[in-house]
Amino acid sequence: MKPAPFEYHAPETRADALALLAEHGDDAKALAGGQSLVPILAMRLTRFAHLVDLNRVDDLQGVTRENGTLVVGAMTRQRTMEQADDVPLLVRATPLVGHFQIRNRGTVGGSLAHADPASEYPAVALALDAEFDLASAGETRRVAAADFFLGTWTTAAAPDELLVAARFPVWGADAGFAVVEVARRHGDFALAGAVCAVAPDRAALSLFGVASTPVRCQAAEAALLAGAPPADVAAEAVRDLAPADDIHASTATRVRIAHTVVARAVTKAREDARA
Amino acid sequence: MHDIEVVINGERTKRRVDARKTLADFVREDCALTGTHLGCEHGVCGACTVLVDGEAVRACLMFAVQVDGGEVTTVEGLGGPDGALSPVQDAFRSEHGLQCGFCTPGFVVTVTAFLRDTPNPSETEIREALSGNICRCTGYQGIVKAVQRAAGDAP
Amino acid sequence: MSSSTAGRFVGQSVLRREDPRLLTGQGQFVDDVQLPGMLHCAFVRSESARGTITRLDVDAARALDGVVAVLTAADLNPHAGSMQPTLLLDAPGAPLRPLAEGDVRFVGDPIAIVVAESRYLAEDGAELVEVDIDPLPPVVDPETAADSEHIVHPELGSNVGTDMPFPRSAELEAILSDSAHVVTETFRQHRQTNVPMETRGIVASYIASTGELRAHMSTQNPHEARLAIARVTGIPSHLVQVTGRDVGGGFGQKFFMFRDELTIALAARRLGRPIKWIEDRRENLIAANHARVDIATCTFACDADGMLLGSYIDHIEDSGAYPTGATGGAGALVGMLFTGPYKAGAAAFRSRAVWTNTCGRGAYRGPWMFETVAREQLVDATARAIGLDPLEWRRRNVLRAEDQPYTMPTGLPIENVTAAETLDQAAEIIGYDAFRAEQRRAFDTEGRLLGIGIGLYVEPTAMGAMDPLGTDTALVRVAPTGKVTVLLATGAHGQGIETTMAQVVAEELGIDYDDVAIVQGDTASTPYGRGTGGSGTAVIAGSACRGASAEVRAQVIEIAAHLMEAAPDDLDIVDGVVAVKGTPTRNVAWAEVARISHMETARLPTGMSPGIEATFTYKAPPFTWSNACHICTVEVDRDTGLVTILRYVVSEDCGVMINPMVVEGQVAGGVVQGIGGTLLEHVVYDADGNPLTTTFMDYLVPTATDVPVIEYGHIETASDTPGGHKGMGEGGAIGAPPCVFNAVADALALVGVHIDRTPLGPEAILTALYPDPGT
Repeated sequence: MKPAPFEYHAPETRADALALLAEHGDDAKALAGGQSLVPILAMRLTRFAHLVDLNRVDDLQGVTRENGTLVVGAMTRQRTMEQADDVPLLVRATPLVGHFQIRNRGTVGGSLAHADPASEYPAVALALDAEFDLASAGETRRVAAADFFLGTWTTAAAPDELLVAARFPVWGADAGFAVVEVARRHGDFALAGAVCAVAPDRAALSLFGVASTPVRCQAAEAALLAGAPPADVAAEAVRDLAPADDIHASTATRVRIAHTVVARAVTKAREDARA
Repeated sequence: MHDIEVVINGERTKRRVDARKTLADFVREDCALTGTHLGCEHGVCGACTVLVDGEAVRACLMFAVQVDGGEVTTVEGLGGPDGALSPVQDAFRSEHGLQCGFCTPGFVVTVTAFLRDTPNPSETEIREALSGNICRCTGYQGIVKAVQRAAGDAP
Repeated sequence: MSSSTAGRFVGQSVLRREDPRLLTGQGQFVDDVQLPGMLHCAFVRSESARGTITRLDVDAARALDGVVAVLTAADLNPHAGSMQPTLLLDAPGAPLRPLAEGDVRFVGDPIAIVVAESRYLAEDGAELVEVDIDPLPPVVDPETAADSEHIVHPELGSNVGTDMPFPRSAELEAILSDSAHVVTETFRQHRQTNVPMETRGIVASYIASTGELRAHMSTQNPHEARLAIARVTGIPSHLVQVTGRDVGGGFGQKFFMFRDELTIALAARRLGRPIKWIEDRRENLIAANHARVDIATCTFACDADGMLLGSYIDHIEDSGAYPTGATGGAGALVGMLFTGPYKAGAAAFRSRAVWTNTCGRGAYRGPWMFETVAREQLVDATARAIGLDPLEWRRRNVLRAEDQPYTMPTGLPIENVTAAETLDQAAEIIGYDAFRAEQRRAFDTEGRLLGIGIGLYVEPTAMGAMDPLGTDTALVRVAPTGKVTVLLATGAHGQGIETTMAQVVAEELGIDYDDVAIVQGDTASTPYGRGTGGSGTAVIAGSACRGASAEVRAQVIEIAAHLMEAAPDDLDIVDGVVAVKGTPTRNVAWAEVARISHMETARLPTGMSPGIEATFTYKAPPFTWSNACHICTVEVDRDTGLVTILRYVVSEDCGVMINPMVVEGQVAGGVVQGIGGTLLEHVVYDADGNPLTTTFMDYLVPTATDVPVIEYGHIETASDTPGGHKGMGEGGAIGAPPCVFNAVADALALVGVHIDRTPLGPEAILTALYPDPGT
């Protein structure tokens, strides 16, 4: 289980990284934390002639706050999010991302750009109406999370585009938050998970692990905001779900677990709001 | 090929490595530090855990070239210079936290980093911290107790 | 021979001497071996379950820089001797060949070996090997394999490997039809695999000038490896050396030799260069060995009080394509042992083993444990049907001291077991009656599903019935310094043999534990023996150690008696000093006796040879029974399908414990494998015979968050073997699966839901709870 050969690039600036991605196009892949990419390289399920390592690019690191938004540099390590108190959903989601050794190396931007439908951060981003800054050698554009996740491991980013930052809206202190998931083992990808935020004037709910992208549940959000019982919110959230079968769970099982995690997340978020 | 300079277990070393060589293969083959073991090579089992710049990471999920200019600590670098066991290593022995010993270096490195950051862990915290490492022999009984012992014995 | 209980060393939780090297990265596993000029190998394996090889083109691979050789069946198969294990040399079985030739029979079947300057380059070369396979319909389902028109091994003409009938008598027929309670269930156990954390591996080198072949291996059984390598390569066995310093787990997988390692040894012989093959995890999951695929329809007939009158089990075992070692016949033991620790009345069985186009079955910690799975699950189903608590059913039927010796209906004699005592002890530790009350309360007031399950078994360990697995030899040698070296044939892989056998020898000799070293894992220096497996070390190797130690002790006493002009019977050895009993001032040091035996031979008794050493070979009795009772409590989450184990208790009797810490470690490890096997681990094939669980992302081994604290109870009843020990390495993995299953079934029975198969993941639980997806 050894990766095929590749040419390694270690740019030190964002501009150099983008230039390399522009130069090599489809033959190049950005290497962030590598916690998802390196295994599939080792199994030779994919290969790239060029790896552009972002780990030495300083201006992709770090967390800042701008006008009610938490701006997370793409190469910020996941473990840093355990202290992202401005965005409690990131604090709650992070311990569910793999294991601590993975989070020491894995990055927020890498997780978002990898777009695994069972991972936590994309669902958090979707629930919060986060926006992503996508940069290429020519320009930078801002894309809403709702427009970013197109399918399993597929996003709106072009091959020469790099997700350089994620912008998470900060909610008020009167809000409550919860991330609840069911996985076979601690740290595994979830069979189904729910992200829930509730405030007096707004509510957000998204699901992960139940479709080819994270799923925003607008009808359920209305019920959530209206104070509907958790089971009713959950029933609304799973109404149109049709997750694929796999070796761990059938469609019906995933829907049932999705119902459970929504109901539990609603309860927890409301408790959190009261606390 | 890439020229790299790395401090491994406190010693500075210069090597030439192929870009695709993993950090795990680098420490085992190029540095002859065979205590770092490969149990899955896809980032699940944790047997290859090492410290890179002080943080526990999977050595199978990094390339050696990525640690150029950095510091790596392997299980060989945790004990005393005279072969004395570190408090974590000693606790594993006292509590029968190992049987075949293949996964053990990864656990020892993991626990060393965990207790540095979490000196007084609950049993739940201990089990969560261990959950990224697979042991097939012990049923984790002795390992959990070893972490508790090491936490209690820590100065 | 003296018997030792709770001695200075035997019975003590001596810390393991293996640990310092393993904890500091100084162990030596096979992948740590580097030889000058060593090359690296990668196998090209079949991606089809069954089919005809229509083209095999290795030219591009051979042309790649760094690739030294690409070997195919044409290169190796004509040179291969028998690949069967020593145990089954003359037995019919799957036609083993080094590399697939003409056709392939499972996904993972090795087709070619690429030999290169690094494993990276070997994998590059393997990608360039072009294989065309014309697919044929595979045999995947063991329940229909016998009747399939498709034949896994055309040479054998049938998919039925063995068919063992033990027919029902007229008396049993009447019992099975006329008894007050007759309960029949069909249980299905799913496919699992051993998953040692160190995969298989071998470094083999052939020295043409001397004709020697050396193999460093990850093996439980160095001497079997030597014999098998000698047979396949044609090199005389005394010129084959197998060594293995540290072995990273095996659980049966490394007890017999597989095709892969034998093929690498053969390749080393042909190439004349040192080659290393380290199996990767994907290979280990698809092509090493699988285990546990068993199906049985079984019946208990009881009288009105629930007393067992008769039983029958019809069992099918999936052998896969190329089972390893003595696995095809394990099914007979499922039938033979089915009635287990109960007064059984009349019994009969049928057991069939079938071939399928899947990875071969191999030994896995209790290879015939399905006898316990099927029986204990049937016990609970029977108790429920009768309206008895499963604990009460067991108490009524369990073998008690006054029933022993007892002959099972299949003729196996049982003695020295304490099934009833462990049942009571485990029930007391877990607080059985209090839990029943809590279970009722939690269900009635909160709707929660709690359950309690029992797994009770007797286990024939250290079996002397099966040559050569019942015999072991120890050589105890005293150096001129008085230090002792013990040479053993074992292949320890986690059991702590360097510690436990030193405890035994030091105890027998009356010297310090630190003065005894164990050498094992090297065929050049150690006597021939059985290897490490089958819960045999304490009884068989331990008794060999005791026998050799007794002879050494006698030699030392004879010399000391001569030196002191005392009668040998008046002397004892305590703490390294040979002294007259009752007059400790009349003594001579052990080390002085050793020195004199080598350096002042004129002072030895007339006619005595210089030096002190002895070799002893011990042949075990046919069965040494151990027993245990597992009880656990669980909660089933009705909304997620997840099972949480609340408490887990094991009460066991392995006779005299050499090292209680090691005993408990073995129990815990086995239990957690059993828990994982029941709740998480599942090797999945699709209908075309493609394995779907090829990584640790999909084959789910339990982690620290998935398992409870294991609580122990010990009952020590000595066996009749020299140290009074009983085997116990496998037991944890035998008792746990039905224990967990029964607890889950007990919880689900609260809402009238019935289960009859594993694994018990969320899919199985939720589907059982809500068979109609719309509800």
